[in-house]
Amino acid sequence: MAKTYDYLFKLLLIGDSGVGKTCILFRFSEDAFNTTFISTIGIDFKIRTIELDNKKIKLQIWDTAGQERFRTITTAYYRGAMGIMLVYDITQEKSFENIKNWIRNIEENAAADVEKMLLGNKCELNDKRQVSKERGEQLAIEYGIKFMETSAKASINVEEAFLTLASDIKAKTEKRMEANNPPKGGHQLKLTEIRTKDSWLSRCSLL
Amino acid sequence: MSDDLPEEFDLIVLGTGFAESCIAAAASRIGKTVLHIDSHDYYGDVWNSFSLEAFNKLLDQPSSSLRNGSYTWHEPAEEAPSWTRETLLEKSRRFSLDLSPRVAYSAGALVQLLIKSNICRYAEFRALDHVCMLYNNELVSVPCSRSDVFNTKTLTMVEKRLLMKFLTACNDYGEDKCNEDALAFRGRTFLEYLKAQRVTDKIATCVMQAIAMCDASSSFETGMQRTQRFLASLGRYGNTPFLFPMYGCGELPQCFCRLCAVFGGIYCLKRSVDDISWTPDAKELLLSSAGKTLRAKHIVCAPGQLPATLAPHYGQLQPHISRGLFIAASPLGNEELNKGGGGVNLLRLLADEGQREACLIQLSHYSGACPAGLYILHLTTPAFSEDPAADLADFTAQLFETNAPQILYSAYFTITAPTNANESAATPIYCTAAPAYELDYDAAIADARHIFSQIYENDDFLPRAPDPEEIVVDGEDPSALNEHSLPEDLRAQLHDLQQAAQQMDIAE
Repeated sequence: MAKTYDYLFKLLLIGDSGVGKTCILFRFSEDAFNTTFISTIGIDFKIRTIELDNKKIKLQIWDTAGQERFRTITTAYYRGAMGIMLVYDITQEKSFENIKNWIRNIEENAAADVEKMLLGNKCELNDKRQVSKERGEQLAIEYGIKFMETSAKASINVEEAFLTLASDIKAKTEKRMEANNPPKGGHQLKLTEIRTKDSWLSRCSLL
Repeated sequence: MSDDLPEEFDLIVLGTGFAESCIAAAASRIGKTVLHIDSHDYYGDVWNSFSLEAFNKLLDQPSSSLRNGSYTWHEPAEEAPSWTRETLLEKSRRFSLDLSPRVAYSAGALVQLLIKSNICRYAEFRALDHVCMLYNNELVSVPCSRSDVFNTKTLTMVEKRLLMKFLTACNDYGEDKCNEDALAFRGRTFLEYLKAQRVTDKIATCVMQAIAMCDASSSFETGMQRTQRFLASLGRYGNTPFLFPMYGCGELPQCFCRLCAVFGGIYCLKRSVDDISWTPDAKELLLSSAGKTLRAKHIVCAPGQLPATLAPHYGQLQPHISRGLFIAASPLGNEELNKGGGGVNLLRLLADEGQREACLIQLSHYSGACPAGLYILHLTTPAFSEDPAADLADFTAQLFETNAPQILYSAYFTITAPTNANESAATPIYCTAAPAYELDYDAAIADARHIFSQIYENDDFLPRAPDPEEIVVDGEDPSALNEHSLPEDLRAQLHDLQQAAQQMDIAE
């Protein structure tokens, strides 16, 4: 089967409950907003293919599945992630304060070179704002990461944020490839790649 | 933190070990409301993998399910002076040290379940590089693939032919109901059958130790069945019939937990349960935890997570599995067995003239379970005393007395199991079994399946979860969800939900 993309990036959404992670995911992948049915049908990641500099990039974006609620994200969630969107709600001071806890969580569990970006979501609710844009910018500078204010509801900056993160990962990946130093990898096998091959014995007439 | 937790659930599961996580995922998947909690601050209970630091801490603090822990730092070998206690601890997080390490047959129960349920998308595996055996105190690779048989220097030309003939016969066995062997060897042992085929001693060892994994008393049927299981798993992924989960076996319970959460299951770690009581008809169970009472129709519990008030119903905690764990700066066996830095190797060891056995899994950094240049050796045997090091002494002697690797760190511990784990009649709580001594997850899956079928008699156990691509939503309206893309059972659930929503509108 021919690959229909040049790169596959695994991205994660992280942040407190209720900051709008799932809404951001749906805005970007489906251009939709309502997500009330999500746990009934079991959506855990969405895929969207974008194009950057004539390269097709398949983005696989994983949601926390609500496991962030009591700070119980599995360590397995972080495996293989290349980019992380850290999301807070500009109308919830607490969700902004918790970003540093989430950063610590990422440092403990994700790869050291994972690309991060900070998003202040729900920026359409300016009259309820508790976190100024400047504080968001300041925190991002502290961690040396990029920052944007977004609105999944009003469709502001969601697209831009993902394209920025994807483009940064792409640059990093290509730089590494140029240095001819691809990340280590034995032959990791996905179970889905199962080959339905008869046992070698049944076709064996040698000896 | 507990304030916004709902109080009523269809199922509350205590413990996030393998079997409990399977049951939680299966219940959530068919639309039941599930609360899944664990008294520890990590997932996986005695099935988890740990960083080096966390592992040491665990050994220092005995718990109900893990005891007799001890660890020793060894002087760095001259060949690898850079690996000291400090440098190992510096890389603590690069280790995934398993409490209950296992491998999976490529066509075995675990792999089938992961594929059938679509949980396989959460995990990655490495095909085992070598299945080994000890022959005349020498560690040799058992040829698994066709090219292995061709290329191996372990066997002579005649032996190769004999082995192929024998395995082909095993593979074909059962197709012919009137098979002469089946009649002739009914009620006899597999070893007798093997001897009757006039194979050499080396081939007999090969088959008994590594392929059929039998002992002298195993019946003909058992040996045949195991050999067939081995053969059926060949040629699927790699050179051997086995897979090992990348980053350690602790990933697997988490995969099931993820599925449970995706379908709405709620997770709470570091939360213990003080008591469980129930109504006289046992239709509703009350669980008190952190000053709050939670109600559930059913409760499933891991043996180590039973509240102290109920634990006596399940008897005493006995030593169940004796474990050894070694970190080494060099691998076991020769270069041939560890090409390019080694991969994952499996070795079954026997002692007391085959009366006792142990399983050794060697991991290199390609398993994602340790830093490059180091090797983890997991040794597991059924416990018969409170001294895991003594239980394993016969096996470590075989391994380390000749061609000893440069061991930097060694640890021992015991995993316990209650004496009456199945004595659930005394309480309406379903208690899962402690990790069994087994290579794969067959017993654990059977346990989970059995408990699930007792609770939800007529429901499917982990039907396939849809792929994200199958769920198509159009525009702003969620009712534009393309239902036909969903598996049937989910479509039905969604339909019920919509009906319920409509009725609510009418009531208003």
